Amino acid sequence: MTALLAVARYEFRMQARKRSLWIAAVLLGGTLVVLQGDRGPRSLPVGTPAREVMATWALLFSILMPLAYGMLLADRLVRDRRLRVEPLLESLPVGPVARLGGKYLGGVAACGLPGLAALLVAAVTELPKRHDPALLGWALVAFAVVTLPGIAMVAGFALVCPTFLSVPLFRVLFVGYWFWGNMLAPAFLPSLTGTVLTPIGDYAATWLLGSGQTALFAGTPGLLPFLRPDPSGASAALSVAVIVLCGLIPMTAAALAAHRATRQTWPAKA
Amino acid sequence: MHIEIADLRRRFGRVTALDGVDLTVSGGMFGLLGTNGAGKTTLMRILAGVLPATSGRVVVGGNDLSTRGGRVAVQRRLGYLPQELGLYPDLTPTEFLDYVGLLKGLDDRAARRGQVGDLLDLVGLSDVAGRKLKGFSGGMRRRVGIAQALLGDPTLLIVDEPTVGLDPEERIRFRTLLSSLAGARTVLLSTHIVEDVAQTCRQTAVLAAGRVLFTGQVTDLTARAEGVTWEIVTAGSPPTDGVVVSAIARTDGTHYRVVSPRPPSPDAIPVSPSLEEGYVALMRSATPLPVG
Repeated sequence: MTALLAVARYEFRMQARKRSLWIAAVLLGGTLVVLQGDRGPRSLPVGTPAREVMATWALLFSILMPLAYGMLLADRLVRDRRLRVEPLLESLPVGPVARLGGKYLGGVAACGLPGLAALLVAAVTELPKRHDPALLGWALVAFAVVTLPGIAMVAGFALVCPTFLSVPLFRVLFVGYWFWGNMLAPAFLPSLTGTVLTPIGDYAATWLLGSGQTALFAGTPGLLPFLRPDPSGASAALSVAVIVLCGLIPMTAAALAAHRATRQTWPAKA
Repeated sequence: MHIEIADLRRRFGRVTALDGVDLTVSGGMFGLLGTNGAGKTTLMRILAGVLPATSGRVVVGGNDLSTRGGRVAVQRRLGYLPQELGLYPDLTPTEFLDYVGLLKGLDDRAARRGQVGDLLDLVGLSDVAGRKLKGFSGGMRRRVGIAQALLGDPTLLIVDEPTVGLDPEERIRFRTLLSSLAGARTVLLSTHIVEDVAQTCRQTAVLAAGRVLFTGQVTDLTARAEGVTWEIVTAGSPPTDGVVVSAIARTDGTHYRVVSPRPPSPDAIPVSPSLEEGYVALMRSATPLPVG
């Protein structure tokens, strides 16, 4: 447990210090703020419930900011080999599962930092207009149910996939997936958009909006109808759970493979 | 810590890196010599539990390294400085050592920090303890490397080519430091620089093409060149018979030291050999070199 937390702590520290994380977050988040248009949170009338305002902000930031997280996390696991730290780490009495888990937790925490900061800044800038301190509380809730599960899923794939794909190839595929699987209308082309699997947080944001309207495409008819329940609190919870579990699938596969490799033995005689 | 290696083999595809290595290390400072590609790093990595062998028996301090439990037990008492040590450029030496300390199981925060500070003092990096590692020179990085290896006061220290890339002053400082650490520990020093072993080790082994050519006292290796080491002073062309180990130009001509089974010229006089010459004599006897 100590080793897991140690890896998580230092992984978080190293990533949170990366200027590229913050620059990418500011650029992508800033672009969305500027280009949000009439459907964006700034256009919501005064008197809109704080919960709805912050859900809209969380969804807005979730459109592009996870792209930055995926890009940045893609080299975190292969980096140890590139930096030649791996032989040293492998000589320490710590199993690869703890190292992998620590990297995951640290990566999720580090990428969550700009996501949380963006929502808190949004809440603070909304305060003078809406005079509702509940905005801050709903910012935290929106972060927990809309932003964080998506980061958890992105982190799982971004850490593990580049170990068998190249980092640049993963990044290209990831960008393609992100737009196809989160924002491409199901009526336009078969896609995962609108299913409980969308890490953009469509179902959770729809539940937070609570006004009967769909945040993006949650529940819209399309491919794999069994993954498109009607939006509700239960389907939002299901979506959060499924998204987090999806992120854990590649992590579990990688952990099992690493665990198996470390248990390798050899015969005394050839 | 006693190390017993028997019939150790390691293949990488069709390449045989270790071909039936038998070796016993009892303690103190032990030098592992060999040319590049001799299999030293493979052997060090197996001993550090980083790389599995293909077959063979390796017992370190009573722990069988062919089992996961044995490897972990050794790693708990191990300090390892890999040949090409990478560091996280965005951490400071203090942070890097703290991180490695945590992974070595040094859970007591105050004790760990105290040890990190002491080791940074020992390797002369206290002044730059708060600077990011990305700006460090090769020598400074090596010093961070030895500091991390010493965390947790290991009883077995494995250092793989630790002086490569260091300037002469740093090499000497590093060798002295390693020697001073050997007291109660077993220190395995892998190198292709004979001088490093000559200055620090009493016991040594020579590896070539994955096999042990020699194991024993450093003085015994030196003795391999007794009677076959010659000095020639000449203003003319260098001797062509034997292996020229050194050539120093002086006012009376160039002083050549040559390892050869027979006098390389009528003027050649026999001299006492150095370890380097013993090593050359051994390698020459193992792999006949072109003569003349």
